[in-house]
Amino acid sequence: MNPDNEVVHAANALTSWTSGVSTEIKELSRNVATLLERNLAGKSKVNKAALVGLDELSREFLTKNTFAVGAGTFLAAESVEKGGRALEWWSRKESGAIGRLDFDLTPGSNRYYDYEKLPFFSTAASTGEQTLWGPYIDYLGFEEYILTFAAPFSVHGNFAGVAGCDIRIKDLEPLLMPNLRVIPGDAALINASNRVILGNSGMYLVGERIKSGSPDLHRLALDVPHLGLSLIYTTQPQTS
Amino acid sequence: MTPTRSPFSERRLLATPTSFQSQIYRALPEIERADAIVDRITKAIALGLLKVGERLPPEAALSDMFGVGGATLREALAELRDQGVVETRRGRSGGTFVVNQPRTQTDTIREWFLSTSISEIRDIGDEHAAIAAATVRLACERAEAHDVDRLQELARALVLATTPEVRASADSRFHIELAVSAQSPRLANAEIRLQEETVQQLWTPLAVAFDPETATAEHLELVRAVAQDQPEKAQKLVLEHIRRNIFHLIDTKLTLGYAQSIQDGQ
Repeated sequence: MNPDNEVVHAANALTSWTSGVSTEIKELSRNVATLLERNLAGKSKVNKAALVGLDELSREFLTKNTFAVGAGTFLAAESVEKGGRALEWWSRKESGAIGRLDFDLTPGSNRYYDYEKLPFFSTAASTGEQTLWGPYIDYLGFEEYILTFAAPFSVHGNFAGVAGCDIRIKDLEPLLMPNLRVIPGDAALINASNRVILGNSGMYLVGERIKSGSPDLHRLALDVPHLGLSLIYTTQPQTS
Repeated sequence: MTPTRSPFSERRLLATPTSFQSQIYRALPEIERADAIVDRITKAIALGLLKVGERLPPEAALSDMFGVGGATLREALAELRDQGVVETRRGRSGGTFVVNQPRTQTDTIREWFLSTSISEIRDIGDEHAAIAAATVRLACERAEAHDVDRLQELARALVLATTPEVRASADSRFHIELAVSAQSPRLANAEIRLQEETVQQLWTPLAVAFDPETATAEHLELVRAVAQDQPEKAQKLVLEHIRRNIFHLIDTKLTLGYAQSIQDGQ
């Protein structure tokens, strides 16, 4: 294989993997919307009864998609009845058991998890499209170094929240590294803000921002709508 | 940095243990007595003093000889069973038998590389960089002439070491003493913890060899910068040093964890 073929090969593999996650998240958000519309039966605000069954959707998602460590739904505060529950998030514990994750949603409290201001929610809300946020430390949330995939959903035509999943950076590494290691030079998967998600050597470490400028550094956008992912790689000077 | 020092400083140091010395010598809780038994038996098997197939003395005799309670002894035996080193059989010809050689240091370190992700190794490097940068700047301000002499000696000990184990302990000793010369017990404690976490991984030859001469040269250059009170230079040197260490750990991780994937991909 010549180096270009290897890059294309890696890009295709990464595109196919991320598209797969993307499809799963879209389906989750569709199922959440359908369930909420059915449960609400014409009512406008989400109450406790409307949430019935959302837990099962999260659990099914996590059982099927073992790459994810957490999955669920965050509702827009506006679409929730006063005093109602605004989210349903489930995560995989160290033991493998799946349990509900609780967040402090009391504004002004020390550990307030203001999810509507977090990019995975706010970007999906403002663009109406799928988002990928991270790598980031989900302080007061899952509190690990993660990536979050999220897709917005509407109920009766109005934006009502996002459904998504968390993937731990350390779990992503063994899944994607084999694809990146096919590329002989230094290469990395980077996010929309040019930060490294995973690199194939010590050259590009997770979290670092890639500064453009080197003529040997190339970029190949991955064909996954709205996520802004690219593969960068360096071509080494030819040795004859 | 002042070239003179109080003639009493050394004596005072011996009389009053520092906070991390007291850490080392603090009273042992019961659980550590169990650890000590595990350690004793593991070493005996590794040295061939106890052989695979051999039966250990009955529990009552063991707790008597070790001078521990039955609960502590059972805890130790349970740990050895978990490690797969001994097996307890019931019945008349029962007892606790040695069934396996204990895992070697190399096995343990290989396991560390396989179970630690690159993002976690990067994170160890991030913390180490923060601790070391602050430490070395303080060392420039606070180290005494005798600290510099000792650090030079410790730096040379690394290149004189002939086995990976001795290299690891010389390397960590140098960094801990550097932190000691910065005179912050909290920073010194942090350095000790970081050394314990990674120094064996650095020197155990698993995939890519690590060169003691380069490391020694870097240590000596660092000592010179401290002796000349050049905090900017010392910080730059120590950050480069840690960066190189972390690259080595990541290289080893990539080789041990993902070597196969290159072949699979082709």
